[in-house]
Amino acid sequence: MRQQYALRTQLVMAVMGFVAFAIIFQIVRLQNSYVTPQIKANELNGRTELQTIFPDRGEIYDRKGHLLAGNKTVFEIGVDLTSVKYPETIASAVSSELGIDYSKILSDIHNPAEGVSYVVIADFVDLHKGERLKELKEKMKLDAKNGGIGDLTGLDFKAHPQRSYPENSLASNLIGFVNREGRGYFGIEEKYNDLLAGNPVKVLVPIDPNKAAEITHVPNGTTLILTINRDLQAAAEQILDDALKTYGAKGGTIVIMDPQTGELLTIASTPRMDLNQFWEYGTIYNNASDFNLAISTPYEPGSVLKILTMAAALDSGIVTPGTTYLDTGSILVGGAWIHNWDGKAWGVQDMTGCLQHSLNVCMATLSTQMEATRFYSYMSNFGLGHLTGVDLSGEAAGRLKTPGDSDWYPVDLGTNAFGQGVAVTPLQIMTAVSSVANHGRSVMPRTLYAMVRNERQYNTTTQIVGSPITEATADTLSEMLANSLEFEGSAALVPGYRLAGKTGTAEIPVNGFYDSTKTNASFLGWGPVDDPKFMIYVWLKEPSSSIWGSETAAPVFAQIAEKTVILLDIPPDNIRNQLVQK
Amino acid sequence: MNIQNVNHLVQAYKVAPWRVQRQWIVNLLLAVLATAMVATLYLDVTSKAALAGREIQNLTAFITESQQRSGDLQTQLASLTSASVMEQRALDLGFRPVKSDEVEYLIVPGYVAPEPDILSSTSIPQLSALSIPPEYNESLFDWMDEKIVSSSRGR
Repeated sequence: MRQQYALRTQLVMAVMGFVAFAIIFQIVRLQNSYVTPQIKANELNGRTELQTIFPDRGEIYDRKGHLLAGNKTVFEIGVDLTSVKYPETIASAVSSELGIDYSKILSDIHNPAEGVSYVVIADFVDLHKGERLKELKEKMKLDAKNGGIGDLTGLDFKAHPQRSYPENSLASNLIGFVNREGRGYFGIEEKYNDLLAGNPVKVLVPIDPNKAAEITHVPNGTTLILTINRDLQAAAEQILDDALKTYGAKGGTIVIMDPQTGELLTIASTPRMDLNQFWEYGTIYNNASDFNLAISTPYEPGSVLKILTMAAALDSGIVTPGTTYLDTGSILVGGAWIHNWDGKAWGVQDMTGCLQHSLNVCMATLSTQMEATRFYSYMSNFGLGHLTGVDLSGEAAGRLKTPGDSDWYPVDLGTNAFGQGVAVTPLQIMTAVSSVANHGRSVMPRTLYAMVRNERQYNTTTQIVGSPITEATADTLSEMLANSLEFEGSAALVPGYRLAGKTGTAEIPVNGFYDSTKTNASFLGWGPVDDPKFMIYVWLKEPSSSIWGSETAAPVFAQIAEKTVILLDIPPDNIRNQLVQK
Repeated sequence: MNIQNVNHLVQAYKVAPWRVQRQWIVNLLLAVLATAMVATLYLDVTSKAALAGREIQNLTAFITESQQRSGDLQTQLASLTSASVMEQRALDLGFRPVKSDEVEYLIVPGYVAPEPDILSSTSIPQLSALSIPPEYNESLFDWMDEKIVSSSRGR
């Protein structure tokens, strides 16, 4: 009995001893295996992996939810030199699919820079081409298992987003573009680059599944919703392009703004570019200021500025709408004679007549009566010579010379009153005149309606930048301008809608002298007068069919105003009045 | 056989060397068995945790890929419905731009003009991490604490 137990005990001990020996043997074997260094290396370095994360750049939408700037997937294609088996096969496949030189690919694989284990062969490869190459890799891998020779082991694909503009050149001047390094240039893309940017970030990503919670979350860029109306933008660009052909103008811009909120509904400018081919920028534009004429190119606006002179005169109390004066056709200011646009004397005129006939002498009379200090104080309060603060990159401040400046002369007090000798951007003059349309309050123009970040939407609000004139002055002047258009039978009128506005024709200085054959033709108007929903500025550069704004810019204004009332669902005044009465 | 002999035999049985050896072996085997059970449980839990972690990693990669694909499709859709394309389609279908005097406005009592359409932000799909049972990241003390708290609430 005792011997039997002893035997069993020895047997169990032998088995356990064998197992213990086997375990020890296995430990020793693994410690001295040829794969041990690799396992150790994995243990040290494999817990995290340096990865480049490409967060999506924020999208840009118009106010109706139409995508203006989005992202599309492209591939970075490279070769992992540590695992490549058949360089020639890779070079051949990539060359035939992407059209890259075979020998160059082979050279890149065979002669990498020192210490480099990954070589980029091509980047920003179209999604479909990349997918085809991936499929070929899988197919060759299967073939290799079945005895085929050569495969694409080592060929690596990294998908990442690339900026894409589905509307191509539409609103290109205000959107701007993003280069391949992910930096925004011009317009919205540059102004809001920090918000939009989903810049590539290199992070250590844990590959240990037990540390999955530590995966770095790189947030995507902020989505922006613009105040722009895509359909109105398309219509404005079409009308502008047609106008350039019809009137032989060298360039131009059409800006539409809601004068009560400052929301920019449209900024059409020439020339435009296909944003998907941003590398063409240098061949289209000579200067950065040409990218968006509405904000970057100050020019002498001409008679459009008479709105501000009259506003200042009315507000300061030196005249009323019924005040009359005798127009003799010329006035001496600062030792220089100033004449009317036609060189004629218009006799007795009231202030509405001054605006209706766009009399330079009348305006120079008003500015000299106000005297320089008060006149320039008003002009400065209107924002001339200051940035409007519009949320677009590349805005110019223009120039308002004032007494004390080395290049200011007494005659400037007269010429500035009718928009010569002063440089403004279209958006500046719109901001200034918005105070007339908006009951005395100027609004800051803006293109951003809202931004969406982390599933929350943040709306922007209207910003009143000043009250340069009283409400009574603004309303009075609006009536005067509406009347002057009606009395004149302006080409800017739209049947059914009461509009206010003013033409502008400014001679362009060439070599220090004004050339009467070269003008900037413009029209600034808004409506409906009793409840303005839109303010439109049209500027045509050097129209050749006629130098006058009343014959070129005014009819263009009427076209775009008609489109605007249709696309914004603004009923004619008689219908609207019925709505108000109810 | 008297009582004294019986006690003697029992005493001899208890102190028999083979019996002591057998007790040691049994205790050793029990210890091995217990260790094996703990190791098995540990292995089971850690493997499930690893699988769940791997699932998170895969889903994270999948979400990234899906978002890229979604963005891609959204851009394609926007291209197909761009202003120029839609205008051309309308013209091809025989439509023409309306003029302002052709538009008829109807007064509808109580109608409020629509505000600008605003994108409703897309909700981010929840990771399946939420489906991972608490057993994978809950300690024994957490479990006991939870039970105590829930039972006290039940009262």
